[in-house]
Amino acid sequence: MLAVFAMLAAAVALLAASCGDDDGADVRNVGTDCASASGSAGGSASGSASGSASGSASGSAGGACASTSTSGSGSGISEEEIEGGKAGSAAVQAAVASYGEQVQRDAADLVRLTTVFTDAVRAGDLGAAKAAYAPSRVPWEKIEPIAGLIPNVDGAVDSRVDDFAGVDDPAFTGWHRLEYLLFEEGTTAGGAKFADKLDADLADLRKELKTLKIPPVAMALGAAELIEEVSEGKITGEEDRYSKTDLWDFDGNVQGARTVVDLLKPALTEADPALYDRIEKGLGELERSLEPLRRGDGFVPFCTENDPYPSPICTGTTVTPDQIDELKAELAGLSEDLALVPGALKLK
Amino acid sequence: MTRRLSRRAFLAGAGSTALAGSALLAGCGGSGGTGAAGAAGAADGGIEATFLPFRGAHQTGIAAPAPAASLMAAFKVLARDKDDLRRVFEDLTDEIEGLMSGRPPVVRDPAYPPSDSGVMGPHPAPDDLSVIVSVGASLFDGRYGLGPKRPRELVTMPFLANDRLDPDRSHGDLLLTVQAGHLETALFALRQLMRRTRSTLVLRWVLDGFSRRSEPGAKTTGSPRNLMGFVDGTANLRADDDAQLDRHVWVGAGDGEPSWAAGGSYQAVRVIRMLVEFWDRTPLAEQEAIMGRDKASGAPLGLQHETDDPDYGSDPDGARIKLDAHIRLANPRTPGTEKSLILRRGFSYARGYDRAGRLDQGLAFVSYQRSLRDGFLAVQARLTGEPLEEYILPEGGGFFFALPGVAEGGRLGAGLV
Repeated sequence: MLAVFAMLAAAVALLAASCGDDDGADVRNVGTDCASASGSAGGSASGSASGSASGSASGSAGGACASTSTSGSGSGISEEEIEGGKAGSAAVQAAVASYGEQVQRDAADLVRLTTVFTDAVRAGDLGAAKAAYAPSRVPWEKIEPIAGLIPNVDGAVDSRVDDFAGVDDPAFTGWHRLEYLLFEEGTTAGGAKFADKLDADLADLRKELKTLKIPPVAMALGAAELIEEVSEGKITGEEDRYSKTDLWDFDGNVQGARTVVDLLKPALTEADPALYDRIEKGLGELERSLEPLRRGDGFVPFCTENDPYPSPICTGTTVTPDQIDELKAELAGLSEDLALVPGALKLK
Repeated sequence: MTRRLSRRAFLAGAGSTALAGSALLAGCGGSGGTGAAGAAGAADGGIEATFLPFRGAHQTGIAAPAPAASLMAAFKVLARDKDDLRRVFEDLTDEIEGLMSGRPPVVRDPAYPPSDSGVMGPHPAPDDLSVIVSVGASLFDGRYGLGPKRPRELVTMPFLANDRLDPDRSHGDLLLTVQAGHLETALFALRQLMRRTRSTLVLRWVLDGFSRRSEPGAKTTGSPRNLMGFVDGTANLRADDDAQLDRHVWVGAGDGEPSWAAGGSYQAVRVIRMLVEFWDRTPLAEQEAIMGRDKASGAPLGLQHETDDPDYGSDPDGARIKLDAHIRLANPRTPGTEKSLILRRGFSYARGYDRAGRLDQGLAFVSYQRSLRDGFLAVQARLTGEPLEEYILPEGGGFFFALPGVAEGGRLGAGLV
């Protein structure tokens, strides 16, 4: 009986020590709403154990602990972020200015290379059209998050069949509609109208981009989104399922992220050098992993084991399960770090 | 800052003392969320939810009270080298300790993504969360030079009778076993752990499920029932009997195993599909004969209470309990088979349906033992060919080694890498 009382007393003491009451008063000792003493840098700071996490955790007694509101989570750039985009430091401003120029150059490449593609479609040259398909998409993949700031373009030029009731849906236009025609049906017949529309949509895009003021946060988040793109669409082979040219897109996304990271290097090495080092290391690993998959001016077709999108283009496995696992891990690790860039640069 | 003891928590705690009469652990009474939390908690396991200790001689989750929700996630390890692998264990140690102790999320500038998913809210409530880290035989291949440190019996799970192993649901370099009072707590933990190890651990397979105790009755102890409707775990080793665990579960220092492995345990995982529709069409008498127990009470056939000794000595020819009944083969209760006692920690799962329109349900059999040969493999050898095989199909799982516990100041995988 005595033992039960002793246990009960001990339990009451423990309860008192560890339980908040119903109105949610904070009992986490430090007398602040911010990270508790025990919530050290490791806390739940995910992949960010050093660098940025230590910044906010060790500085928690000071001003680093803002409200508990959630924020732009690294995927998707909302209107609000565009409106509310802060200018950031001088280093960030310089990076954004250079990036704006790079985006213009990429947009010019996009129009030039896509015209090669659409001209071949209109000329009825199936071989040339197929050969020009993947290269025309690379500049698009480099700037996709920025292009995505222009309403309606992405849906018109880069939708996949999954976004529609079927291939015959009249709203299904753009690269992948042509990809289906060329690689699945093996013809250019009926392609001219899609080629014309693709040209027109991209001409509009280029015009809009000329006057677009890129919000710093959009640039910073853009790198993360590009890598996210690869993780979601390319590594699964669903992006270019008929042409098997996913690796061109993959490379375009990585190049786009590389541009952003290089331009942000001065700002990032000042704000969070450990984070920059991890990103540089991760991006370098990813670039090296792509090397063995290059063939000629491009890449091997994306042919995987148990391919969910079988194609006569694939006569064997070109990207092994081990290679895919490695790419997955590299992409995922890099995504975690890139998602921290807007925070490190205090861009909202 | 107030530190008032909430009345709800107090009542919940007192309730569990009265009902369970066992150790009362600190909790915030959060599990039920109503005035009946105490009673509800007791029905689930007899003890209020708590933060389980992370550090100790053994990983806590292995012998903690059986949880209501379990989840297993197997990974391929892509650490670049041995140092990178060491960091994986350091990160797991820190994250698991934080999760098990309810460490609140670090609050960062809102320009950062939030440091956790928020699923547990800003102040994670106790929910008996535990995470067990185990390694598979494949981690000891040439990649990290760990060959000489491989536990002697740790091999890739071989083909066993009746198996139809799906390679996408079998084996792995590293296994996380996450247990909690509720599935969302386990899922929360998994997401945090994966976020922390994103660049080195690639998911191979994942399986979650449940194991619900019921109210003890006149003839039953409240042991969970499996999806065949039979009580499961009646004759299990008692997880609170340290002497038994030392004898049958923990690898000892004198076992001839690599020194780092002492305090760990071999973990056998078998994802066993049950052909439930077929089973449901089977006459009750046949179901009971196959299992060797009365379905309603759980008692060995011809006896009264679930925990009655089956008394095989009085039934040498299997007139009462057939010689090939599941419980008789699994645990013949003879002096010679005492060595094969294992600690079972299985759970039921349901994951949709198959192409024939049949429900895909079954048992994730999980056992911990000091020796695979003396434990799981000995039991499995006796069960091979049992009539129950017609109704079950082992589809996945693997052999793993649950790491020893973490000493103060130490980390998971110390001595290994």
